[in-house]
Amino acid sequence: MTPPAALVPAMPHLLAGDPAPSWAELAAATRTVGDRLRAARVDTVLLLSTQWFTVLGHQVQCDDRLRGRRTDENWYAYDYGHLDHDLAVDVELAHAWADAIDAAGMQARRTRYDGFPVDTGSVVASRLLDPDGRGRWAQVSCNLYADPSAMAEVAAAGVRAASGLGRRPGVVAVSGLSSGLTPRWIRPSEDRVEPEHDRWNRKVLDAIAAGDRDAVLGMREEFAAAAQADSQFRAVAFLAGGGAVDRPGEVLAYGPVWGTGAAVVWWNEQET
Amino acid sequence: MARVFHVTAGSGRSAARRAPRHEPAPGPAAVPAGPSGGGGIVAGYLAPHPPHLVYAENPPQNEPRSTGGWEVLRWGYEELRRRLKAHRPDVLVVHAPHWITMVGHHVNCVPNPRGVSVEPIFPHLFRYHYDFRTDVDLAEAIVDEGARAGLVTSALREEGVRVDYATIGALHLANPDWDLPVVSLSANNNPYYYSDASLAEMETLGAATRRAIERTGRRAVLLASNSLSHLHWDTEPELPEDMGVERPFDHAQYAGDMALLQTIREGPTSRLKEAVPAHIEATSSETKAGSLTWLLAAMGWPAIAGDVLAYGTVIATGNAVVEWVP
Repeated sequence: MTPPAALVPAMPHLLAGDPAPSWAELAAATRTVGDRLRAARVDTVLLLSTQWFTVLGHQVQCDDRLRGRRTDENWYAYDYGHLDHDLAVDVELAHAWADAIDAAGMQARRTRYDGFPVDTGSVVASRLLDPDGRGRWAQVSCNLYADPSAMAEVAAAGVRAASGLGRRPGVVAVSGLSSGLTPRWIRPSEDRVEPEHDRWNRKVLDAIAAGDRDAVLGMREEFAAAAQADSQFRAVAFLAGGGAVDRPGEVLAYGPVWGTGAAVVWWNEQET
Repeated sequence: MARVFHVTAGSGRSAARRAPRHEPAPGPAAVPAGPSGGGGIVAGYLAPHPPHLVYAENPPQNEPRSTGGWEVLRWGYEELRRRLKAHRPDVLVVHAPHWITMVGHHVNCVPNPRGVSVEPIFPHLFRYHYDFRTDVDLAEAIVDEGARAGLVTSALREEGVRVDYATIGALHLANPDWDLPVVSLSANNNPYYYSDASLAEMETLGAATRRAIERTGRRAVLLASNSLSHLHWDTEPELPEDMGVERPFDHAQYAGDMALLQTIREGPTSRLKEAVPAHIEATSSETKAGSLTWLLAAMGWPAIAGDVLAYGTVIATGNAVVEWVP
């Protein structure tokens, strides 16, 4: 069985008390993904957030409880810049995932430190996907210095580890699409994606919706260069490694978040 | 090795949007502080921040313990500390690339930042207990002068924002006693959206910083918390301080650093207006975050040479400790 998977946005604006229409749509779509993950009886979500970016090895979160408040270093002046969080980590799966990364010839780094700062993307996604806080998570970092294809191997290792433990995993990548972040303070109603980036985002999403894996992965590098894609769109490599992308993805929402492109995409689980 | 740090900043359109809205008029040269202790910028330092250097030193504030390593760079910092004290500054002003702000240039105006900074990239090396004082008057003056110059600025007054390792690292390595007030500036760049700072904006921010320092009459030392060549390994040895594997990423990175340092040693600093962008292009230098350009612009691009106190690599990145005294 190929696990269900999703791409969800990373920006905290989705939690705004007075959101732009696109922020509200993206938030609602992310909640829908959470509903579907629960309907699919997912035990643990394998989570990659590009906002937990690292440079040495692949860090796997091994703390059993990530509880606290994050004050975002950029958005602190807004309500959505103050993010309470409480994530339950599937520690057994986290260790198995780290072991699988090592076994695949990569370098896993087991992370368990009091006061570890959970990134904004992980907090936003977890609050929308799991508003009741009943879910379990296994988190890996996004190594910006490793080849993007490494993220596919990392995800595949996670799925193997989950299977080995008899877990039903879901695979979720928390990432934006294009950059083009608006470099000034704006009102929500002013939010838009610049046309060239919008064209690229739609091109990528069309290929995802068509289930054209080769096209999606083939355009990743060009997309990254042309639209300054979030973390060179390593998210799609992670999703591909988790078994998504080679079947049609359902684009639940797409829109701007402070000038960046953001989308919610869902892939049903599939018999293999 | 990924190329995430090679890309040009934003699209042409977004880069244009990020340019200052008002090009400031050329300002006067920096006013050097007199020997009697008058206000002004008394020295500037390129002060790289790899957490490995703090880790290697085993200060009481940092939880992890090491067996040392990267000694030559740390000896350079020892000399920096000696010289810094001789300058008798009122305040240290630091620009650091890992307080990443997506919108605008932020200045920490929290009077007493304190907490534990667990670094998400290097948590095994850097879990630092910090507790320092901010020169709030100067911090607010920089926000004000930056805004007057057409920059998007923001005064951080929220207590809960974790201070990043590039800010703490440079400040600790320059002044481990933490007995001087601090002003901390963010880097308006973002490795996962657009990569590079606008160096034109850093010129503007530097000039604004200088005006604020002069307006408040402070004797200030500036710290540009940047490494140089920035390609590096994506894995780590079992012993992080294993110097048997520490070396430049490749010869081109090393040669690029040496070319820049030779220009610095020869002076004048105005040559760096061309040399820094060329070095960024050649080596993905961390100066793309703008800290060095900010520092030299604040000092008015003085017609002097820099004094290179040390050079060494950290996980293959190039790092130099350099002093400029106007």
